[in-house]
Amino acid sequence: MIISEKTVVHNLGLESFGGGANIVAADVLDGRLARIRPVHFENDYTKEELNYWTITGRGGKTLEPGMKSYMPPFPLVYKRRTYSKNRIPYPMKRVDWNPGGDRHPEMRGTSKYERISWDEACEIIAKEIKRVHDEYGPNSILCQADGHGESKAINTPHGCMTRLLGECGGFTIQNRNPDSWEGWYWGAKHAWGMDPVGQNTHSTNTAQDIAQHCDALLYWGCDLETTTWGWGGQMASRMAFWFEDCGIKNIAIAPDCNYTAVVHADKWFPVFPNTDAALQLAIAYVWMTENTYDREYIETHSDGFDWFEYYVLGNEDGVPKSPEWAEPICGIPAYRIKALARYWASHAVSIAHCNGGSFIRAAFAHEPARLEVYLLAMQGVGKPGRISIKYIEWVLFGMSSCSPLPLSKVIPNTAACYNGPLIGQGGDSFVPKVHIHKALRGEKLEWYGHGTAADPRADQFKHFRFPLEGDAGVKMLWSDNPAFTTSLNGGYEFQDALKSENLEFYLVQAPWFEDDARFADIVLPICTKFEVSDFGTDNDSGQWSAVTFEEAAIDAVGEAKSDWIAVQEIGRALEKFGGVYEGVVQRMTKGKTIEQQVKEGYEACGIPEEDRDFEAFKKRGYQLIPTEEGWEDQPVGLAPFAEDPAANPLETPTGLIEFYSQPLATMFPDDELRGPVAHWRESGDGHDDRRSSDRAKKYPFLIVSNHPRWRVHAEFDDVEWLREIQTCKVIGPDGYAYEPLWMHPTDAASVGVADGDVVKVYNERGSVLGGVRVTERIRPEVVYMDHGANSDVIVSGVGGLDRGGAINLICPTATTSKNADGEVTSGYLVGVEKVDVFELAAKYPEEFNRNRYYDASYGQDVRDYIEGA
Amino acid sequence: MKALIVDLNRCNGCYNCQLACKDEHCENDWAPIALAQPQTGQFWCRVDEEERGRMPVVRVAYTPTFCGHCDACPLIGLAPEAVYRREDGLVVIDPEKARGRRDLAEACPLGMVYFNGDAQVAQKCTGCAHLLDSGWSQPRCVDACATDALRWGDIEDFADEIAAGAADERLEGLGSHVYYVNRPKRWIAGTVANRGENEVIIGVPVTIFDADGEVVAQVETDEFGDFRYCECEKASYRVRIEAPGYDAVEFDADCADRDVVLDDVFVDMLR
Repeated sequence: MIISEKTVVHNLGLESFGGGANIVAADVLDGRLARIRPVHFENDYTKEELNYWTITGRGGKTLEPGMKSYMPPFPLVYKRRTYSKNRIPYPMKRVDWNPGGDRHPEMRGTSKYERISWDEACEIIAKEIKRVHDEYGPNSILCQADGHGESKAINTPHGCMTRLLGECGGFTIQNRNPDSWEGWYWGAKHAWGMDPVGQNTHSTNTAQDIAQHCDALLYWGCDLETTTWGWGGQMASRMAFWFEDCGIKNIAIAPDCNYTAVVHADKWFPVFPNTDAALQLAIAYVWMTENTYDREYIETHSDGFDWFEYYVLGNEDGVPKSPEWAEPICGIPAYRIKALARYWASHAVSIAHCNGGSFIRAAFAHEPARLEVYLLAMQGVGKPGRISIKYIEWVLFGMSSCSPLPLSKVIPNTAACYNGPLIGQGGDSFVPKVHIHKALRGEKLEWYGHGTAADPRADQFKHFRFPLEGDAGVKMLWSDNPAFTTSLNGGYEFQDALKSENLEFYLVQAPWFEDDARFADIVLPICTKFEVSDFGTDNDSGQWSAVTFEEAAIDAVGEAKSDWIAVQEIGRALEKFGGVYEGVVQRMTKGKTIEQQVKEGYEACGIPEEDRDFEAFKKRGYQLIPTEEGWEDQPVGLAPFAEDPAANPLETPTGLIEFYSQPLATMFPDDELRGPVAHWRESGDGHDDRRSSDRAKKYPFLIVSNHPRWRVHAEFDDVEWLREIQTCKVIGPDGYAYEPLWMHPTDAASVGVADGDVVKVYNERGSVLGGVRVTERIRPEVVYMDHGANSDVIVSGVGGLDRGGAINLICPTATTSKNADGEVTSGYLVGVEKVDVFELAAKYPEEFNRNRYYDASYGQDVRDYIEGA
Repeated sequence: MKALIVDLNRCNGCYNCQLACKDEHCENDWAPIALAQPQTGQFWCRVDEEERGRMPVVRVAYTPTFCGHCDACPLIGLAPEAVYRREDGLVVIDPEKARGRRDLAEACPLGMVYFNGDAQVAQKCTGCAHLLDSGWSQPRCVDACATDALRWGDIEDFADEIAAGAADERLEGLGSHVYYVNRPKRWIAGTVANRGENEVIIGVPVTIFDADGEVVAQVETDEFGDFRYCECEKASYRVRIEAPGYDAVEFDADCADRDVVLDDVFVDMLR
């Protein structure tokens, strides 16, 4: 029996930006993907060749990298993603968008599409670019070219258009906010440096240190069994099991008993969303009043502790931040808070993180992020078994100090063949992603900081404006990531912005017809991973870094072209206008073929010449890079700082951990929410989302919105095999697959709903529908809904209604705080009310009956949006 | 003879096994071993998940469930001409010879056989026999397992696991070749505190009695005032909590249908 005719090796990471993860082998049969499977390194390498490592914890328990790739679930379903019913089949134009006449911006999100040819599409787009250039100037084209997507380099899913527009006078770019790191980025950096994102970047050999010396790990909003899946793989899970084997107690702190807690946790502290700061302050209070913190360390390793002590003990505002004070705020009984504080003070305790969640993506997230650093400092962070460890992003931005596990001797990159913009390397004309609504509406705006994940701390003090002097503002939006509403802030407001008169042309290029794509004027079909050849890397596996020779495995689906080729097609149409457009395709591609670029990418990836063999690389499909020699002798995490802070300073102005940030005090003397010392903050800067707020009478639940379990943000919502998993969707009485809303049994009883009921989740920004899942995995007075469900617009814009359950449609637009441009996508107030879906269908017959091809098994189908399909 | 060991202590609930099975069999026709599996609705490898406990002691028990390739597979008895057992122990339904045999899909006590209405054939796990015959050393589910929760090999290599483990109870007596190890038992958990002083009470003796009043176990509250006893049968128990200096308190703990998490126990303020 023939089980495969050809095998290719790809990385199926979803970080994009030229990065890579999740190396897989894919077998092809009869021109179609037959199977996607782990790569067995033992077929190609010996352990000696790879400088195989073993690390040892208590009781002689060991952890090893293993000899196959530990793929997460998403690569296993990539076949279905590739052949999704929701692939854009051919170029399409919105039926009532007429560039020569009425453009009907108000109909975006409502009207259907018609098929056009690639030639027609490119001609229309080229004319529009030329018109916008002539009438307004190049900076009036906004490139929305960031966020997550397939990890490709030559055919990068984000930003190929910047290579074209860069050759024609420039563009404006949307700067991606530090979306999974908000609190650490805007807060923790001011306490302990740790550029660029504020999480601990001193992690070398910390996994072994924890396994040997740590008594308990606090999984603080950490879900390694979910968040790693898009760009890391399952070494994280193996590491967590190993820590258990070494006798480490796992304590989960989060409003939800997340997918990590239900497998790994010994204890769960179900804190109310975005009240971690109160819990942290109460822990500090116990240590201060019982004198159980590391006074000597504080004296030698920190600055400004007395400010913090003054506040915690109640001298500043008359309110001691005692466990009894914290209990009604955070929902953890005072006796438990004291027990946790005392345990922590008498044991070696570390904190485990995996990004995302209410802890770090809620209003004022800079406060819990800073308080966490304060607590770590008070127990001597850097001493054995006392550190903050991450289960994800082990070579963040190519940094070799971030991995708790031994690393390969080279961290390869794709820069030489990468055809997109790098994070933090845009031009002068840019808009922070969280403020994009205003730019689309044609408003003027100003803010502090480039606000990308790659900027150092001091960048947060730079002041910027948009549009630049003399510019006309945004008139055209070119997006290769039409998933803002599902993943970012203020989704309904963003939909309204897309419908703004100011926005004359909205172009989308994407593989799938999801979310914001349905508001576009022109849509171009784009190839997915296995339809194109590329050069890739896998750097975050925790095993070995790899480079991949990614041969195309299948033909393009439908009329799709790769991002890089699609942009060239537009370039060719532009060349007809001559002038600045003359020879633009040659200028952007330098005439290089894909093959040439793969070779150049490999040759410049960082692997030294003596270790490179292009023909062998091509034949095998991948190359692993052996573990660095001497990894055993590298310092353990922050131990050098703990031992001698003067010789090993942090990146703060004093080189110490700063309880009081002088730069924040100097630069933002009037900032009442992000002051020089972290505080408990009740409300302000557009946020009024406490259970004690008046709004809570109307919207009584705090919502937790995590990185989704069965998606990567908006991706994978169309996969049958995922959707039939129990926790993925809830089938309503109308046969529609609704996004689950978790409710505690007491809340379900008080609202009068049961498992499987359809509810409206709402606040003043609008409503989304969800399917109730009654569960003990969420604490009372809190509901849980993952972000990223494929939206299904019933009424668009503020006050709208979405059947798909894209919860970020109703999250705040206001940022972390006024000088901190983070998204607030968790921990806000909502109401929950049972709905009769048949009544709703009668009220909105057109929208509810639009789904002729819809099937609960895979969800939406592009044909439902094409006229006459 | 092959065996599959399922270590429930190592399963993280990622569903890789269930998904890899679908990747192998949906849209792929491996006749004569198996016809293509329908896109949805069949689970030749199925992860069952059960939420256990209640706040704040909650766990999810994930149980990957498989065809046992039983020595006494009832399908073979029903259709000896269409269902056969290979030398390696894998039980395979011949899709041609079994055409129309809906009864085969009803015969498995574990519900691991499905009827494909379009192809008019009963279908189930083949152990990826087509791959094993082509040189693979293990089926897709095992290959995709990232935590070694699934281990596949010759039965004689797993003597210890087989001695310590057990087949799914619904397959008892049939000779299943799928062995579960580290299957969790029911638990009784609670926290002891003094609400007046807002302090947990550490080191409190907690005695667990069975229905006959016999002592089953004695545990103590830990530094968090928590106790947990995890070796309960599906039976009812009584819990006696004796905080020094306070009156003893007793509770019923019926583990017959579920794990028991007591409300936090507040002892009287006698001090």
